[in-house]
Amino acid sequence: MGDLDDDLRRLFGDDRLDVHPAPDATDAVLRGAHRRRRRRAATSSAFLVVALVGVGLGATQLRTLSHDDPADELLETATSTSTASTTSLPPSTSTVAAPGSSSRAATPPASSGGATTPPGTGTGKPRTTTPSPPPPPPAEPGRLGALLLGMSEADALATGALIEPSSPADQENRCTAYATRSVPDSDAVVISPAKGIVRITRPSTAKTQRNVGVGSTVAEVKAAYGGATQSGTTVLVPMAASPSWSYVFTTNGTTVTMVHMRLAAHDCPTA
Amino acid sequence: MTAVLQRGPAAERGGGRAEAVGDFAEFVRASMPGLLRYGHALTGNPHDSADLVQSVLEKVGSRWAAVQRKGDDPLAYVRRAMANTHISVWRRRRRENLVAEIPDSGAVAPELSRLENEPLWQALRELPPRQRAVVVLRYYENLSEAEIADALGISCGTVKSQSSKAMASLRARLGRD
Repeated sequence: MGDLDDDLRRLFGDDRLDVHPAPDATDAVLRGAHRRRRRRAATSSAFLVVALVGVGLGATQLRTLSHDDPADELLETATSTSTASTTSLPPSTSTVAAPGSSSRAATPPASSGGATTPPGTGTGKPRTTTPSPPPPPPAEPGRLGALLLGMSEADALATGALIEPSSPADQENRCTAYATRSVPDSDAVVISPAKGIVRITRPSTAKTQRNVGVGSTVAEVKAAYGGATQSGTTVLVPMAASPSWSYVFTTNGTTVTMVHMRLAAHDCPTA
Repeated sequence: MTAVLQRGPAAERGGGRAEAVGDFAEFVRASMPGLLRYGHALTGNPHDSADLVQSVLEKVGSRWAAVQRKGDDPLAYVRRAMANTHISVWRRRRRENLVAEIPDSGAVAPELSRLENEPLWQALRELPPRQRAVVVLRYYENLSEAEIADALGISCGTVKSQSSKAMASLRARLGRD
């Protein structure tokens, strides 16, 4: 008994048990740990995206009913085409358009006179008014990959899209800046401690939903986005999303050289 | 769910992540030789030891902040995790082998291990992994029965019975009845 105890202690104390670590063993562990963390973050942000999409769909439904959403251009066209062809369409199609068109119908009189309009005159009005208002401002999501405008620094780090370490984004050392996996600039993402991500630089290859980006001409940007305003060589396109934000197209006068997405309520001087 | 819960406190720490990564790198560098040796005692061969150390450290590193917050000694935590991972990996391999007769990829050519000719080492290799883990924790780590029970998540009674079974079969194999 005692012999075996001693033998075991001797064996486990033997130098021959030593294993020399591979030269890159530490790096391999760090890479593996990073990979696992990213995978976990990706899984949780996938949940977040699913949840956000769910919320977004719900919100769209509500907006459709309350018709105060400036974004739904598609709905606008759908409504006008179906109203135009109502007589020839089967009943099922017109019931699809019914909630939109009837609720829209009540709006113009209410805003002009405030009086309750009889349904008969109400349905007549929108046919003339629908084509006249300017296209509503676009509401593209303030998102680039997993990064969202307004996202907290910790959440942004958890996406794995940022490259550490951060650098100070302003003189007071309040806001921080990061490079991202898609944009190597050290200030590709600017994060405010209070507002979260206030600015995201888009990769030079990325196009907006309306197909403009680095290399597009100023004219193309303005054609794509009617609400674009120019100040100097910068073209601003506000988005009616929540939280509201703008595309900031930096140009050389004729061509776009850089595209930022910037939170409207930002509080970092460099954003 | 756990990930979400862990992100709360992580948010307060904010930029501390880079520091934590550096801290973890230092921990890995310092503890690697000892862990490899311990893994060698646990698994019986240096290659399985390297695999075991790598996979456990990766897991621990990916949750390094949480591991540190627990307040335990991280090294003790890693050693416990290694013992448990080794036991469960062995179980999984055995199941796969039963189904598919996959040759044991962990087998090492004799010349790679300088301990091969040691009868006690050979006898240890024949032990089921939990019995072996109990022996290693007791004679390599010098843990008490209660500490072993805690480390492996089993009862003191199980530690006693596993230990006596292990010692009996070692003695039988060494012809020391």
